[in-house]
Amino acid sequence: MTEQLEYSAIPRRRLPTLPPLLRGLSVADTLALGFAGFLLVAVIAPQLLTPYDPLVPDPGATLQAPSLTHPFGTDYLGRDLLSRVIHGTWRTIAGSLVAVVIGLFGGIMLGIASAYFGKTVDAVIGRAVDVLLSIPGLLLSMVIVVSLGFGALNAAIAVGIASVAVFTRLMRSEVLTVKELGFVEASFHLGESRWGVLRRHILPNAYGSVLSLTALQFGAAILWIASLSFLGYGAAPPDPEWGLLVAEGREYVVSSPWMVFLPSLVVVASVLAISHISHFLRERVA
Amino acid sequence: MPAALHSYTARRIAQTVLVVILTYVLVFFILFILPGDPIQQQIENPQNPIPAADAKILLQYYHVDRSGLDQFWIALRRLAQGDLGYSLTTGKPVASLILQAIPQTLALASTALLFTGVIAFTIALAAAFAPSSVIRGIARALPGAFLATPSFLVGFLLLQLFSFQLGWVSAIRDEGFKSVILPALALAIAVSGPIAQVLIQGLNRAYGEPFVTVLRARGLGEARIVLGHVLRNAAIPTVTLLGLTLGELLAGSVVTETIFSRTGIGFLTQQAVREQDAPVILAVVMLVSTVFALTVLVTDLIYPLIDPRIAARPIPATADQASD
Repeated sequence: MTEQLEYSAIPRRRLPTLPPLLRGLSVADTLALGFAGFLLVAVIAPQLLTPYDPLVPDPGATLQAPSLTHPFGTDYLGRDLLSRVIHGTWRTIAGSLVAVVIGLFGGIMLGIASAYFGKTVDAVIGRAVDVLLSIPGLLLSMVIVVSLGFGALNAAIAVGIASVAVFTRLMRSEVLTVKELGFVEASFHLGESRWGVLRRHILPNAYGSVLSLTALQFGAAILWIASLSFLGYGAAPPDPEWGLLVAEGREYVVSSPWMVFLPSLVVVASVLAISHISHFLRERVA
Repeated sequence: MPAALHSYTARRIAQTVLVVILTYVLVFFILFILPGDPIQQQIENPQNPIPAADAKILLQYYHVDRSGLDQFWIALRRLAQGDLGYSLTTGKPVASLILQAIPQTLALASTALLFTGVIAFTIALAAAFAPSSVIRGIARALPGAFLATPSFLVGFLLLQLFSFQLGWVSAIRDEGFKSVILPALALAIAVSGPIAQVLIQGLNRAYGEPFVTVLRARGLGEARIVLGHVLRNAAIPTVTLLGLTLGELLAGSVVTETIFSRTGIGFLTQQAVREQDAPVILAVVMLVSTVFALTVLVTDLIYPLIDPRIAARPIPATADQASD
């Protein structure tokens, strides 16, 4: 608590410039940042990373094991698996981004409303959060995706709605904590408006913990979206979405196990890299 | 104090009942009232249209022509009589579908819960007390790695290793308890991360407390101190994770049962979601969320008995964070 008091007393924190931010990187930091950079290129310009088209079948080269020409092997239609994984990156990453933005935005709004208006509003939002939290996230997103209809975007929206509750709870407790601090109270008495206090004091103070929850939820969203499309509720074939790639590979898991394991490992690496970077940022920025 | 305790207990029970009722309302409205009529869709399903005569019975049973609120009251009245409706795809009563699926999932989830405990305690003890710093480092990194791993990957790895390579368990045939082990292990690995993290924190905190010095001064061996005293202290907070873990086990069984070709609640859910079979989905979600809410209630109420230090403190006015 004292830590929060100290840095919030400084009117505007300047973000550290790039060189000190990157000074003294450990091996794990470098790996995580490198992989995140790779994902970024795969989202923006996938054709730079692979010469193959993810959708064009090659009847002469079906179900080939990983080799130098096809590092991840080929699938049952002879499509290059690495290029499918690379071209599928933006579907998973953009989907998770949509989910996190929905969860974050909804959660911040509801959390602030709950803490600011108190009484009835707080009670209503509180019970809604209890209800949403009593259904495991993956199951809740399945219920929502049934009502929205299957599809990559709908799966992302469903995961987003399913994660509103955790953000609401965090935001509410953050606002309530900061609201009681002496300097916020003083600011009210000095004639600052509710909106002004919110913008100048409460949001900047909540920034750190909301950021780390966002990173955590981003990782969870990748896993949930991959699980939903693995079960067949998300992206539809021939879309090279990661979960869908695993589901397609499942038919050939005995003879061509790489079709299941390589895309899955990319999911693991992405989630690990994101959670590591969030740790790293929390230490360096905050 | 007893009066305060009673009113706290009563309030927590009332809160739990309210949450269960509101969950039913929410899920019912998401599935039946929002645009996209599941019953009409099922009747006009291009792959498997329902014959007109059967469709008429379905439409009459669910009263699709009435308003959303009317449909809700009808469903509620039937629920009170133990009628959970009928599956839209198979026409079987939902209650019997659920009852048939429960034993499979009960075996899977209880075995998985046992494995979860064993895995989490092993990792935490290794992370805190392993003699080699390499082992400690690996054990500390494991919970995070488990959290980053999709459950289908663990499932396929276990299948690949133990069914296809070593041939110990059939991937398809049901061989009784032997067939439960692999899916239970996959589920346990997926949910043991948070428990292991809480345990590691607890072990480190408890090991720094003065009672450890006292015990050492009294001449107790290190193993006795750790296993008999520090571990007991560190394990208390994991009780609060029980509800969350049970919920995750049941939800996770959707993926696991699909991979291991088991026919429990998870498989039923997977089929129901794929066919948009709303009455079955509603029943499954209510089952899972009721199990979750009741577990959280029970752990909240017995927590002061497990940790008397809590009972000595005044009971907080709000229990909003109970599900943490």
